Amino acid sequence: MSLFAGPTRFEPASWEFLPFRFERIDGRVLLTNMVGEHVVLGPSEFDDLVARRLEPQSPTLRRLRGKHIVRASGEQLPLDLLAMKVRTKYRRLPEFTGLHMFVVTLRCEHSCAYCQVSRQNADVGEFDMSEGTALRALELVFQSPSHAIKIEFQGGETLLNFPMIQFIVETAERMNETAGREIQFVIATNLALLDDDVIDFCRLHDIFLSTSLDGPRDLHNRNRPRPGGDSWERAVAGIQRIREELGTHRVSALMTTTEASLGRAADIVDAYVAEGLQSVFLRPLSPYGFAVKTRAHSAYDVDRWLSFYASGLDYIVDLNRRGLPIMEQYAAVILRKMLTNDDPGYVDLMSPAGIGIAAVVYNYDGTVYASDEGRMLAEMGDSTFRIGDLATDSYEDIFLSDALLSPLEASFAGSVPMCTDCAYEPWCGSDPVFHHATQGDSVGHKALSAFHRRNAGVFRLLLDRLESDPFARSTFRKWANP
Amino acid sequence: MSGPSMERAVVLLDADAHSSDAIQRAAYRLADRCSLQLTREGTNFHCALHYPDAADPQIIREFEIAVNDEVLRERIRDETRDVRNLVLALAFANTTLVQDTDEP
Repeated sequence: MSLFAGPTRFEPASWEFLPFRFERIDGRVLLTNMVGEHVVLGPSEFDDLVARRLEPQSPTLRRLRGKHIVRASGEQLPLDLLAMKVRTKYRRLPEFTGLHMFVVTLRCEHSCAYCQVSRQNADVGEFDMSEGTALRALELVFQSPSHAIKIEFQGGETLLNFPMIQFIVETAERMNETAGREIQFVIATNLALLDDDVIDFCRLHDIFLSTSLDGPRDLHNRNRPRPGGDSWERAVAGIQRIREELGTHRVSALMTTTEASLGRAADIVDAYVAEGLQSVFLRPLSPYGFAVKTRAHSAYDVDRWLSFYASGLDYIVDLNRRGLPIMEQYAAVILRKMLTNDDPGYVDLMSPAGIGIAAVVYNYDGTVYASDEGRMLAEMGDSTFRIGDLATDSYEDIFLSDALLSPLEASFAGSVPMCTDCAYEPWCGSDPVFHHATQGDSVGHKALSAFHRRNAGVFRLLLDRLESDPFARSTFRKWANP
Repeated sequence: MSGPSMERAVVLLDADAHSSDAIQRAAYRLADRCSLQLTREGTNFHCALHYPDAADPQIIREFEIAVNDEVLRERIRDETRDVRNLVLALAFANTTLVQDTDEP
């Protein structure tokens, strides 16, 4: 007599569907459940599923049960497990706004053609944040229910108003003595003005630095002109100095893809490797600020960016294959959504959208924006995503404003045409600012949306590599579970 | 000044087997390549597809596949609606996100 029941004991006599969505991709069919767990089936397997011809002992049915796409008739456990996973996926919602961006100045000594924030000349002081504005913004920061607060300094070039950064950090730390939040500071800077004072202050207050590195010297300096033509030299020297004096983890870098970047994905990744950086974020250009005025953002289309992204991603996987651990950050965000039940809270890939409820921007002049892109749009004369003014509005006025709640409600992907039926929806998000900027409507027609085409292209690419390359699959699992 | 010339193709679909909602959802997905004029003619839906000439020979077949997929999605939605609502109710039952209905 066996002590264990055989596998047939657990095969269902009959089965039924749980909620799922599907997309056809190059002859195969992707199925996702309510939280984005997925299975890829061949067309005949899919036909057998929807025609209910799958036998209870079928391996395909076991896979589908394991992914909560079907359940044994009447079985309760999959519903409880799915509910728990849904709760995990949305666990950040009650936390509300965690990322608070302070635009301490709009001045900048660079003159990048793709600048998305419409910087001002470096000697015009009227574009600096005042102490009064900063204090009022900090009052709002600590009214957020979030137990983890990140204060990020944005510009312009933030170090042109370093005294204001010092004032905000020191004041926030004093306020936090009673508030008791987990608080983190990040300075976004091109590092050209990095000096001993900045290094010492960052060491003393555990501040992280985020910079721009567009790739090798020629590409970076072409994209990011400044007096002296030495943007790359200063950025690289700054990265090395921070790594040596503050620690390797204290500096990260972002790149922006221009037309000149498109054929050079490997060069760009190599530039990151050369500086000892362990991740690269292959970002497309956004349709805001000088990027629109100079037509830089329309110099290439989604297909060309996807081709660039694929070559960069494949190169990064190959570097990992050769023993060099480097990660692509956009893939890592999406893979976390694809391969775990967690949502990393990346503002551009959230639904409900991350505007206001995940991140908020306090501009130098006291105006408050639902996102950094909303601020960029305002610098172009469109104040749709301006949700208040620190001088006149309360926390409730700002976070219950129609300017915030209306686009949030309208763009919720679960109820947006096409998104509601899309198998990619649990991995995707809604970006009301992008759709407002490109289509004049915060929801946007997804069949015509560059946001949809870009993300669907990335999802298909990642699925293909997950299915076809065992090494990529194991690498992607590590990225999803850092 | 005239606009670009357009092709027109007609697909007839049995109204008992296809809902207008499924047909419209399929057309929405293909809106970057064609537009739909939908009318009811007796027991059929008359689907007039307009698309740029000679640019898209596959569009009719893709429209038909898209309609069938939307019919299937409709069936899955209907079959699983109660379970979906139950899972969401279980998920959010004990969170601060749920407001009692008798609160103002």
